[in-house]
Amino acid sequence: MRLSVNGSPRDVDPTRAPTLLAALRDELGLIGPKLSCDHGECGACTVRLDGELVYACLTLTAACEGAHVQTVEGLSPAGTLHPLQQAFITHDAAQCGFCTPGQLLAAQALLERNPHPTDDEIRVAMSGNLCRCGTYPKIIAAIRAVADASGGAAGAPA
Amino acid sequence: MSAPKDSGKRFVQTTVEVEGRTETRVVELPAFEPAPWGADAPLAIVGTSPPRVDAREKVTGRARYTADVVRPGMLYAVIVRSPIAKGTVTSLDLEIARGMPGVRGVMGPGDAPAATRLFRRDISYAGQSIAAVCAERLLDAERAARSIAESLIIAPAPHAVTAEEALANDAPRVRDTGNATEPDVVTRGDVAHGLTMADVTLTREYRTPVALHSALEPHGAVCEWNGDQLTVWESTQGIFRVRSDVAKALGVAQSQVRVIKDYMGGGFGAKNSAGAHTYTAALFARALGAPVRCINDRRGEQTDTGNRPATIQKVTIAATRDGRLTALALDAIIPLGIAGWEGGPAQIFHELYSCPNVRTSETMVYINAGGMQAFRGPGYVEGAFALEGAMNAMARALQMDPVIFRQKNLATLDERTGRAFSGNRLGECYTEGMKRFGWPSTVHRSPSGVARVKRGLGVAAQTWPTGGGPPSYANVRINSDGSVDVLAGTQDLGTGSRTILAQIAAEALGARLDSVRTVIGDTERLPYTGNSWGSMTTPSVGPAVRMAAEEAKSHLLDAAAQMLDVPVERLGARDSQVLLDGVPARSFSDLCRALGSVQIVGHGSRGPNPELAVVTVGAQFAEVEVDVETGVVKVRRIVAVHDAGRIINPALAESQLHGGIIQGIGYALFEERHIDPATGMTLNANLHDYKVPTMADIPAIDASFLPGADPAANHVGARGIAEPPIIPTAPAIAAAVADALGVEVCALPLTPWRVLGALAE
Ligand code: FES
Ligand code: FES
Repeated sequence: MRLSVNGSPRDVDPTRAPTLLAALRDELGLIGPKLSCDHGECGACTVRLDGELVYACLTLTAACEGAHVQTVEGLSPAGTLHPLQQAFITHDAAQCGFCTPGQLLAAQALLERNPHPTDDEIRVAMSGNLCRCGTYPKIIAAIRAVADASGGAAGAPA
Repeated sequence: MSAPKDSGKRFVQTTVEVEGRTETRVVELPAFEPAPWGADAPLAIVGTSPPRVDAREKVTGRARYTADVVRPGMLYAVIVRSPIAKGTVTSLDLEIARGMPGVRGVMGPGDAPAATRLFRRDISYAGQSIAAVCAERLLDAERAARSIAESLIIAPAPHAVTAEEALANDAPRVRDTGNATEPDVVTRGDVAHGLTMADVTLTREYRTPVALHSALEPHGAVCEWNGDQLTVWESTQGIFRVRSDVAKALGVAQSQVRVIKDYMGGGFGAKNSAGAHTYTAALFARALGAPVRCINDRRGEQTDTGNRPATIQKVTIAATRDGRLTALALDAIIPLGIAGWEGGPAQIFHELYSCPNVRTSETMVYINAGGMQAFRGPGYVEGAFALEGAMNAMARALQMDPVIFRQKNLATLDERTGRAFSGNRLGECYTEGMKRFGWPSTVHRSPSGVARVKRGLGVAAQTWPTGGGPPSYANVRINSDGSVDVLAGTQDLGTGSRTILAQIAAEALGARLDSVRTVIGDTERLPYTGNSWGSMTTPSVGPAVRMAAEEAKSHLLDAAAQMLDVPVERLGARDSQVLLDGVPARSFSDLCRALGSVQIVGHGSRGPNPELAVVTVGAQFAEVEVDVETGVVKVRRIVAVHDAGRIINPALAESQLHGGIIQGIGYALFEERHIDPATGMTLNANLHDYKVPTMADIPAIDASFLPGADPAANHVGARGIAEPPIIPTAPAIAAAVADALGVEVCALPLTPWRVLGALAE
């Protein structure tokens, strides 16, 4: 079965990898999406499926035929950083970094939808992605910085 | 800096406080120790906030965590766990699993060395391992594990999952040695006398819940044997500890075991040793001759990797009308789970305040539930809720501002040990915190009124032993192109130790930060350091790294003096340049290239501790809103000011404060393990029903440190910071809730039903 991952066509076998997370990690060797709760509770496995944020641990591979999947690895071309990635570095928005790939994708989707969110809108939009290290204030600052720096095109794919 | 002396090693005794426990150790005396960096030392890199050295790896998703390690031909192991709290496995079918597709190995009762404590028939808590499966794919292993679980027959036996059940007259036996330890009583002065001196005496009973670490990255290991050499990739706070655990359990030499830890997704105290997952992976890997990955699923993670135990704390507090403490007494019962060490709530009662008469008693109770493990500020977090609750209650009874009451009882020395502090500026933390918070000066601060949503303010303080100590070793190597490797067998849990050790090395060496790489997390290639627990890494490994860098610099400058034909006294180093009379003369890279393959290495070790109490202290202020109809508590604002000596990287240190405070908010408002009394099973062993804070729960946080340094603690001047910020958060929030409601809620978490219950009384 074929789907597009970060712009390249890839073949996966839904019987070997029933969930999209297993397909990305175990079949395709991507390590950005993480397995943490396996039940749609934490957001560590967050990826974008045709632009929508999904929990890859709850998404069936079989339902993704022909879909476009974007992981953190596809956030920016190799060797470059998306403005959100740069802002996460500048604002120290990753402690252990385990939740970070999911946080970045959630932030990207938020800014595409709402380029200038209020802090409360950020809090609500990001509340599906847990961070046990407590980087939330710095994630908010990083998103804020990107939103403030943009003239309205924040979060557009690099 | 004094010159390196000869190498005759000498050993001395020193005391080290680990997670609040004092240990006496015999340690090596370093040949020389650099002069301390005092508060006014002209430092250019230490004390600044460059981004984490590994930030790019993390934001690009390239950082490789244990579950991301893939080895050729790797197999996957899954552990089958007991669904009930106590009983005996009378039957289980491993054969069906053995025949299932992809399955390569199965282990059950009797198949693992006793020292691993794996796979036993006698069950003493839900979550205990009974069997394990190893298969070519995770899916196959999970399927086979399910079939074993379905075949299980356990003859249940009566269990005790609460302290009350375990202490009842007809209690079932939890451990053969008895269900409770003898009370551990520690006394200073005479509490009975202190009570007679008091104008006001209050008693309270405080209860705290079982909290689960809930790191997003579960515990896990990948094990691979090469002949009789074992490599373990493990998500751990202590690579050398895992090495010794594994060697002991499997009966091999430590030199046969290599433990590697690259990135890890948080630990918070739960990842200090090898676990069932480690042994399972190592045993399968040996039996099957293939690498094996074993990562806990979330249920296993929430039930079998430790917790912060519950407490029941009866407190008596006595003071004079003018606000002097005359007595403090604590009677604590701590249901540890099936096992655990004594990291109890008593110690903070002896340390935080000056009080002539203190008596604490701790009784550890064993129950049929997963054993405790250190969890960020173990004991002190629980103790602070009770001690600070009682302090706030007393301030109310005395009609005294709770900050003024605390200021009157500041400890000027560690009254538990009689030692002077290396530095303790708690008084300034209050003053600075009040200023930042806008703490009102009158006693009755809150607009009471009849509004449905009531506002309240609260304060609490903390102390935590953060001196670190030996043994810790580090090497600093200058390569032939002038680049620098810092080699230390420590760990970065997400705390930032990779970065701050690079900063310390760059500072001491006079190198550019971007030329320094920190290599950590490998028992085979790196010198020993201890576990990253007890907020110890910076004050333990930091000085070793500085000393190694100073030694490397002195070698480099010696060589430069020869090459430039000048006396070494005229040389210095900055920005990876050798300076002659303060002016750049040769770059490190030119110099090292000219030296060719001459190896410049400095060795460092952490010297003994001073005969002083080294603590990090701080005060936190909270503002809450309580909806008296729904009982919902909303934290509006937290102000935190801590004194931790020198801060190596303010941005990273602030992140540690945020992390502690946010976990403290979870502990205050949401986090509580629930066990089904009938089966002993954890009902909320997941991240949905066990509530950790989300971004939507987070208030405005203003977290800072007092500027300065603590050169008496160690020659870097830094103390630990990871654990202190979680300690006062819940008591400050509870105080604010009491302020809003006019009644105290003496049990955590402050859930709506507890708040409404307190209001109804
Ligand atoms: S792993 Fe998918 S939401 Fe937690
Ligand atoms: S940075 Fe550790 S879980 Fe978010």
